[in-house]
Amino acid sequence: MSQDITVTTLFFSFAADRMNCRNKNYVIPQGTTLGEMVHLLQPQLGPDSTHWLYSVNEEWASGERPLEDGDEIAVIPPVSGG
Amino acid sequence: MDVYRITKEPIDVEEALQAIADPAVGAQAIFLGTVRNEFEGKSSQGLYYDAYVGLAEKELAQIGAELKDEFGARHVVLIHRTGDLPVGAISVLVAVSTGHRPEAFEAARHGIDRVKARVPIWKKEHWSDGGDAWHHDPTAFGLT
Repeated sequence: MSQDITVTTLFFSFAADRMNCRNKNYVIPQGTTLGEMVHLLQPQLGPDSTHWLYSVNEEWASGERPLEDGDEIAVIPPVSGG
Repeated sequence: MDVYRITKEPIDVEEALQAIADPAVGAQAIFLGTVRNEFEGKSSQGLYYDAYVGLAEKELAQIGAELKDEFGARHVVLIHRTGDLPVGAISVLVAVSTGHRPEAFEAARHGIDRVKARVPIWKKEHWSDGGDAWHHDPTAFGLT
Protein backbone atom coordinates (compact mmCIF):
# COMPACT_ATOMS: atom_id res chain seq x y z
CA MET A 1 0.00 0.00 0.00
CA SER A 2 1.42 3.34 -0.99
CA GLN A 3 2.03 6.03 1.57
CA ASP A 4 2.45 9.77 1.33
CA ILE A 5 5.67 11.60 2.10
CA THR A 6 6.37 15.22 2.99
CA VAL A 7 9.06 17.23 1.21
CA THR A 8 10.23 20.81 1.73
CA THR A 9 10.77 22.91 -1.37
CA LEU A 10 12.90 26.09 -1.43
CA PHE A 11 12.39 28.85 -3.98
CA PHE A 12 14.94 31.54 -4.86
CA SER A 13 15.10 34.73 -6.91
CA PHE A 14 12.17 35.26 -9.28
CA ALA A 15 10.99 31.69 -8.63
CA ALA A 16 10.16 32.86 -5.08
CA ASP A 17 8.33 35.85 -6.55
CA ARG A 18 6.27 33.57 -8.80
CA MET A 19 5.41 31.25 -5.89
CA ASN A 20 4.83 34.11 -3.42
CA CYS A 21 6.95 32.28 -0.87
CA ARG A 22 10.51 31.15 -0.18
CA ASN A 23 9.62 27.65 0.98
CA LYS A 24 6.66 25.33 1.12
CA ASN A 25 5.95 21.78 2.26
CA TYR A 26 4.25 19.36 -0.11
CA VAL A 27 2.60 16.02 0.68
CA ILE A 28 3.13 13.73 -2.29
CA PRO A 29 2.83 9.98 -2.98
CA GLN A 30 5.81 7.82 -2.09
CA GLY A 31 7.83 7.05 -5.21
CA THR A 32 7.27 10.48 -6.77
CA THR A 33 10.34 11.53 -8.75
CA LEU A 34 11.91 14.99 -8.82
CA GLY A 35 10.77 15.34 -12.44
CA GLU A 36 7.17 14.61 -11.46
CA MET A 37 7.44 17.12 -8.63
CA VAL A 38 8.71 19.79 -11.06
CA HIS A 39 5.78 18.98 -13.35
CA LEU A 40 3.45 19.48 -10.38
CA LEU A 41 4.95 22.94 -9.70
CA GLN A 42 5.10 24.02 -13.34
CA PRO A 43 1.70 25.77 -13.58
CA GLN A 44 2.78 28.25 -10.90
CA LEU A 45 6.55 28.25 -11.61
CA GLY A 46 6.11 28.87 -15.32
CA PRO A 47 6.98 26.93 -18.50
CA ASP A 48 10.67 27.93 -18.36
CA SER A 49 11.04 26.01 -15.07
CA THR A 50 11.53 22.72 -16.94
CA HIS A 51 14.92 24.08 -18.11
CA TRP A 52 16.11 25.09 -14.64
CA LEU A 53 18.36 23.17 -12.26
CA TYR A 54 17.18 21.41 -9.12
CA SER A 55 18.85 19.97 -6.06
CA VAL A 56 17.84 17.47 -3.40
CA ASN A 57 19.42 17.74 0.05
CA GLU A 58 22.03 20.23 -1.23
CA GLU A 59 23.16 18.05 -4.13
CA TRP A 60 22.40 18.62 -7.82
CA ALA A 61 19.74 16.14 -8.88
CA SER A 62 18.17 14.91 -12.13
CA GLY A 63 14.52 14.27 -12.89
CA GLU A 64 14.64 10.51 -12.37
CA ARG A 65 15.62 10.84 -8.73
CA PRO A 66 12.94 9.36 -6.42
CA LEU A 67 12.02 11.62 -3.52
CA GLU A 68 12.01 10.48 0.09
CA ASP A 69 10.25 11.68 3.20
CA GLY A 70 11.96 14.78 4.60
CA ASP A 71 13.86 15.66 1.42
CA GLU A 72 14.78 19.30 0.85
CA ILE A 73 14.28 20.25 -2.78
CA ALA A 74 15.64 23.53 -4.13
CA VAL A 75 14.36 25.22 -7.27
CA ILE A 76 17.35 26.93 -8.91
CA PRO A 77 16.41 29.42 -11.63
CA PRO A 78 19.28 30.76 -13.81
CA VAL A 79 22.02 31.99 -11.48
CA SER A 80 23.47 35.52 -11.56
CA GLY A 81 26.25 35.74 -9.01
CA GLY A 82 29.38 37.81 -9.48
CA MET B 1 44.85 27.29 3.06
CA ASP B 2 41.57 27.39 1.16
CA VAL B 3 38.44 29.40 1.96
CA TYR B 4 35.02 28.75 0.36
CA ARG B 5 32.40 31.01 1.89
CA ILE B 6 29.08 32.74 1.39
CA THR B 7 28.85 35.64 3.84
CA LYS B 8 26.77 38.67 4.79
CA GLU B 9 29.91 40.36 6.16
CA PRO B 10 32.18 42.69 4.16
CA ILE B 11 34.86 40.79 2.21
CA ASP B 12 38.30 41.07 3.81
CA VAL B 13 40.97 41.16 1.10
CA GLU B 14 43.79 40.96 3.65
CA GLU B 15 42.38 37.68 5.01
CA ALA B 16 42.42 36.23 1.48
CA LEU B 17 46.03 37.28 0.92
CA GLN B 18 47.06 35.60 4.15
CA ALA B 19 45.18 32.42 3.20
CA ILE B 20 46.96 32.01 -0.16
CA ALA B 21 50.43 32.93 1.17
CA ASP B 22 52.94 30.09 0.76
CA PRO B 23 56.76 30.11 0.50
CA ALA B 24 56.51 27.63 -2.39
CA VAL B 25 54.49 29.92 -4.68
CA GLY B 26 55.85 32.55 -7.04
CA ALA B 27 52.54 34.11 -8.10
CA GLN B 28 49.31 35.30 -6.56
CA ALA B 29 46.30 36.62 -8.45
CA ILE B 30 43.27 38.27 -6.94
CA PHE B 31 40.02 39.26 -8.64
CA LEU B 32 37.40 41.51 -7.04
CA GLY B 33 33.91 41.94 -8.43
CA THR B 34 32.26 45.22 -7.42
CA VAL B 35 28.76 46.66 -7.57
CA ARG B 36 28.29 48.88 -10.64
CA ASN B 37 26.13 52.01 -10.86
CA GLU B 38 24.25 50.90 -13.99
CA PHE B 39 23.04 47.82 -15.83
CA GLU B 40 22.50 47.91 -19.59
CA GLY B 41 22.33 51.69 -19.50
CA LYS B 42 19.86 51.98 -16.64
CA SER B 43 21.01 53.75 -13.48
CA SER B 44 21.23 51.52 -10.41
CA GLN B 45 21.82 52.37 -6.77
CA GLY B 46 22.91 48.92 -5.65
CA LEU B 47 22.34 45.19 -5.67
CA TYR B 48 20.69 42.63 -3.43
CA TYR B 49 22.30 39.16 -3.48
CA ASP B 50 20.60 35.97 -2.34
CA ALA B 51 22.18 32.50 -2.17
CA TYR B 52 21.36 28.91 -1.40
CA VAL B 53 24.18 28.86 1.10
CA GLY B 54 24.65 25.11 1.65
CA LEU B 55 24.81 24.16 -2.00
CA ALA B 56 26.66 27.37 -2.94
CA GLU B 57 29.53 26.65 -0.55
CA LYS B 58 29.77 23.06 -1.85
CA GLU B 59 29.93 24.36 -5.42
CA LEU B 60 32.64 26.90 -4.47
CA ALA B 61 34.69 24.03 -3.00
CA GLN B 62 34.14 21.97 -6.17
CA ILE B 63 35.39 24.88 -8.31
CA GLY B 64 38.41 25.25 -6.02
CA ALA B 65 39.26 21.56 -6.53
CA GLU B 66 39.03 22.08 -10.30
CA LEU B 67 41.39 25.07 -10.17
CA LYS B 68 43.91 22.90 -8.33
CA ASP B 69 43.55 19.99 -10.77
CA GLU B 70 43.55 22.01 -13.98
CA PHE B 71 45.85 24.94 -13.20
CA GLY B 72 47.97 23.69 -10.35
CA ALA B 73 46.61 26.22 -7.87
CA ARG B 74 48.12 25.58 -4.45
CA HIS B 75 45.64 27.69 -2.49
CA VAL B 76 42.22 29.00 -3.48
CA VAL B 77 39.91 31.53 -1.82
CA LEU B 78 36.38 31.98 -3.19
CA ILE B 79 34.12 34.30 -1.20
CA HIS B 80 30.75 35.76 -2.26
CA ARG B 81 28.83 38.29 -0.25
CA THR B 82 25.03 38.38 0.11
CA GLY B 83 22.48 40.96 1.22
CA ASP B 84 22.06 44.59 0.15
CA LEU B 85 25.27 46.06 -1.28
CA PRO B 86 25.82 49.69 -2.30
CA VAL B 87 27.58 50.79 -5.48
CA GLY B 88 31.32 50.17 -5.15
CA ALA B 89 31.09 47.35 -2.60
CA ILE B 90 33.04 44.15 -3.23
CA SER B 91 30.54 41.38 -4.00
CA VAL B 92 32.92 38.56 -4.89
CA LEU B 93 36.58 37.69 -4.37
CA VAL B 94 38.71 35.09 -6.15
CA ALA B 95 42.28 34.63 -4.91
CA VAL B 96 44.75 31.97 -6.02
CA SER B 97 48.41 31.22 -5.59
CA THR B 98 50.43 29.17 -8.05
CA GLY B 99 54.01 28.35 -8.95
CA HIS B 100 54.24 30.86 -11.77
CA ARG B 101 52.43 33.84 -13.34
CA PRO B 102 50.53 32.27 -16.29
CA GLU B 103 48.65 29.73 -14.17
CA ALA B 104 47.74 32.38 -11.62
CA PHE B 105 45.94 34.49 -14.24
CA GLU B 106 44.32 31.41 -15.78
CA ALA B 107 43.10 30.04 -12.47
CA ALA B 108 41.67 33.38 -11.34
CA ARG B 109 39.94 33.91 -14.70
CA HIS B 110 38.36 30.47 -14.73
CA GLY B 111 37.53 30.80 -11.06
CA ILE B 112 35.36 33.89 -11.47
CA ASP B 113 33.80 32.57 -14.71
CA ARG B 114 32.76 29.32 -13.02
CA VAL B 115 31.46 31.09 -9.91
CA LYS B 116 29.25 33.27 -12.10
CA ALA B 117 28.04 30.36 -14.23
CA ARG B 118 27.38 27.67 -11.64
CA VAL B 119 27.04 28.80 -8.03
CA PRO B 120 23.43 29.24 -6.80
CA ILE B 121 23.56 32.99 -6.15
CA TRP B 122 21.15 35.58 -7.57
CA LYS B 123 21.30 39.35 -7.84
CA LYS B 124 18.55 41.94 -7.94
CA GLU B 125 19.03 45.50 -9.21
CA HIS B 126 17.74 48.35 -7.09
CA TRP B 127 17.06 50.92 -9.80
CA SER B 128 17.74 54.57 -9.07
CA ASP B 129 14.19 55.46 -10.16
CA GLY B 130 12.71 52.98 -7.64
CA GLY B 131 11.64 49.44 -8.40
CA ASP B 132 13.89 46.44 -8.71
CA ALA B 133 14.54 43.46 -10.97
CA TRP B 134 16.11 40.02 -10.57
CA HIS B 135 18.71 39.34 -13.26
CA HIS B 136 17.59 36.72 -15.81
CA ASP B 137 13.93 37.23 -14.87
CA PRO B 138 12.32 37.32 -18.31
CA THR B 139 9.45 39.48 -17.05
CA ALA B 140 11.77 42.08 -15.47
CA PHE B 141 13.71 43.20 -18.55
CA GLY B 142 10.97 43.34 -21.14
CA LEU B 143 12.01 40.08 -22.79
CA THR B 144 8.51 38.63 -22.91
